[in-house]
Amino acid sequence: MVANNEVHFNNVEKVFPLDGEYLEVLDRINLDIHPGEFVSIVGNSGCGKSTLLKMLVGLDNPTKGEIKVGDRVVDSPKSDVGIVFQEARLFPWLTIEKNIEFGIEKNVSKENRKNIIRNAIELVGLLGFEKAYPAQLSGGMQQRAAIARALVGKPDVLLLDEPFGALDAFTRISMQNEVLKIWEKEKRTMILVTHDIDEAIFLSDRIVILSERPGRIKEIISVNLERPRDRSREEFLHIRKKILTSFIGNTGLDLEYYI
Amino acid sequence: MKKSIDIILKIIAPVLLIIIWQVSGSLGVLNEHILPAPSVLVQAFIKLIQNGKLITNLLISLSRVFKGYLLGALIGIILGTIMGISRGINRVLSSLVSIFRPIPMIAWIPLLILGLGIGEESKVAVILIGSLWPVLLNTISGILSVDNKLLEVAKTLEKNKINILVNVILPSAWPSIFTGLRLGISTAWTCVVAAEMVAASSGIGYMITYARELSQPEVVLVGVFSIGFIGLIIDALIGTLQKRILRWSYINNRDR
Repeated sequence: MVANNEVHFNNVEKVFPLDGEYLEVLDRINLDIHPGEFVSIVGNSGCGKSTLLKMLVGLDNPTKGEIKVGDRVVDSPKSDVGIVFQEARLFPWLTIEKNIEFGIEKNVSKENRKNIIRNAIELVGLLGFEKAYPAQLSGGMQQRAAIARALVGKPDVLLLDEPFGALDAFTRISMQNEVLKIWEKEKRTMILVTHDIDEAIFLSDRIVILSERPGRIKEIISVNLERPRDRSREEFLHIRKKILTSFIGNTGLDLEYYI
Repeated sequence: MKKSIDIILKIIAPVLLIIIWQVSGSLGVLNEHILPAPSVLVQAFIKLIQNGKLITNLLISLSRVFKGYLLGALIGIILGTIMGISRGINRVLSSLVSIFRPIPMIAWIPLLILGLGIGEESKVAVILIGSLWPVLLNTISGILSVDNKLLEVAKTLEKNKINILVNVILPSAWPSIFTGLRLGISTAWTCVVAAEMVAASSGIGYMITYARELSQPEVVLVGVFSIGFIGLIIDALIGTLQKRILRWSYINNRDR
């Protein structure tokens, strides 16, 4: 990667006006993410983790502080940052193929487009479904198409906002493997928001734990395990325990009880 | 089996009506100067086909509908899109729309005749006004109903405004616009007959009024029924077109 696409959060704060009052959502977020790194952000619901991604992709702006991707200060959406939402958000009137094509930039030649689409469809395992409409596919397959659409835009940074939250446990695990495969192959920075701790450990280089509202960075845990990771190995469980401790804190209750 | 029962159930009422009508006509219960029996109507129909009057007048009316509707629908879609996208323009124009929309189209006919004469222009204008409203209102509501989540997707992919309009906003408004187009064409067909009955020298509406003056109830009735029949065909055509163009929305409904 020649391009400098490091992600910087510098003292980012977000306040929402709510019924004449102010709701502090994020407080002094400072975080640097290296090119090609896989970072997960975990935290309770409402701790502002999705807001963080929304600001990074440019759909919302910080109240204070700034977010930078490389040298660019993020203030509006730009194709160097892509996002996959919790819902697939495919266009129901387009076939899977056309939905994916929508992600390609306009200055790409026709011949190239075809290749890009074919490669993307193969990468996410949707061969044979090119001509299907989104409503004809299962939730997991729709999400695969959404990932493909985000990838063909060639973003330096790909954001995943609870992308598997609505999927069943089996589909979720196979999608996690899929994402891992894509990350290893494409070498893009990926930032995942999730409340599935196992998912975070399975995929990430680092896991950022946010505190409850207002969201602050409570702890950053590095996961130095060989990939693909075995979810039942002792080191895996150890990290899991560490994260849970950080979440639950000193309640006095035995942690084993939760695990 | 179920389908044939369905068809029988559908045609049983009209068939019964025709039988009762014919029988009471033959028995002399009905005044034949007002309501001639179906057999008389069939004769009149064949005659009108043979001398070409029915077809000629229908074609004249249809061509007026075609011109007026095309203009009305075009203006409706363009104006509706602009009003749907721009909150400011919508605010400025919506009061005008609410004042003009409830005016029955027939009320415009005298003014249009004064301004445009009894020729083609006034008919086309009447149809234009009549078909404009349903298309306009349904286009606005279709444009406004676009899913913000899909707009966000387009924005994060750094698409420009025109691209978003053409590829996201308009496609999601199409089902609603089509409802407007369908309502508009039936209004247009009603409008042309009304306009021709008020003042014209040709067209199916004119044929009916003229037959009344000559006391030819069978011609009046043939005219009236052909209006209904043509209306049915037009609606069926638009319905087929809708199913073809909006195939995706039918897939969604079938599978979900």
